[in-house]
Amino acid sequence: MANDPMKQFEIKEVAELFQIGGQTISWTNSAFWMVVSAILIVGFFALTTKRKLVPGKMQSLGELSYEFIANMVKDTTGAEAMKFMPFVFTLFFFILAANLIGMNPYAFTTTSHVAVTAALAVFTIGVVIVAGIWKNGFKWFKIFAPSGLPFIMYFIIIPIEIISFISRPITLAVRLFANMVAGHVMLKLFAIFAAYLAAKGGIIAVGAIVPMFATVALVALEFLVAGLQAFVFAILTCVYLNDVYHVDH
Amino acid sequence: MANRNGQNHSSKPDDLTDLGARLDAAKSKYEVVPEIKEDGSLLGQAWRMSTELVVSVMVGLGLGYGVDVISGSAPWGILIGLCFGFAAGIMAVLRTSAKMDAQNAGVPLGDDMPDDEDE
Repeated sequence: MANDPMKQFEIKEVAELFQIGGQTISWTNSAFWMVVSAILIVGFFALTTKRKLVPGKMQSLGELSYEFIANMVKDTTGAEAMKFMPFVFTLFFFILAANLIGMNPYAFTTTSHVAVTAALAVFTIGVVIVAGIWKNGFKWFKIFAPSGLPFIMYFIIIPIEIISFISRPITLAVRLFANMVAGHVMLKLFAIFAAYLAAKGGIIAVGAIVPMFATVALVALEFLVAGLQAFVFAILTCVYLNDVYHVDH
Repeated sequence: MANRNGQNHSSKPDDLTDLGARLDAAKSKYEVVPEIKEDGSLLGQAWRMSTELVVSVMVGLGLGYGVDVISGSAPWGILIGLCFGFAAGIMAVLRTSAKMDAQNAGVPLGDDMPDDEDE
């Protein structure tokens, strides 16, 4: 039994693929589970959308999830942002699938690595920047300087706005990764504690019931967190996409 | 006009209004749960605001440190960066909470809560 609660986050190299500039690019367990989650999502929607007029149970689920994201984008950003709906949809379901797969024993939680979440977050903010400049030209940079302020205030407001913009990808990445790591470590700690107590035998073994129940409760909490963090990531993407369309806020 | 069910009128709209009235009467017997539309769960919003605050301070600190390293102006870059980071964090949280307030404007809270006892 692995007694180290951090061991579950270890990246194991399965195969070396190729080298770019001396850096080995390899196929790892993390990459494997990322591909698994992508296949699961694509498979789910490919199998469930048979486009019946009267949807069955699984098709309803697919349609509901479409509507869920579509409404999220419409409510948070506006109908004009529906171009980005596929992007938000993909983000949400990839993170959700990765989180939920991570809840299975022996599976690897890809979203527990800041490299993965940071890549997602940086790409999201990159989309906002590129789309914003594409649509508004250099007027887009006005989001850092809201109009209608006394001149001196701009010396204070512009640095503040720039800091809050830079902190966006970091918050996105850190929140998701920290939630997944903290949850899985706690889960493992309580489970290990229960196993230790049970192994002691005698009257101490009875005490193992308490961490047992804590573990069960934590599993439920972790499922909540898995969904919640995917949701938070998606809705914040929508909020940040606001800056593409509403430069004067 | 003779009706199979022995009713006096059989025209469709009348039947429908009658049915509607009966449905309303039946529905009124049950408690109507008001739908409160929430933009994300409260836990999600709490996570959002707390990380915004903490990370903004860190980013301000990091930028200030970067300025210090480049221009050799230590410790002023870090000090000013920290202040700006803190201000940015507070502003982000205030902005988020203002948005939350606007979204929950229609939801009764505190003293405005309707009494459940007179049911």
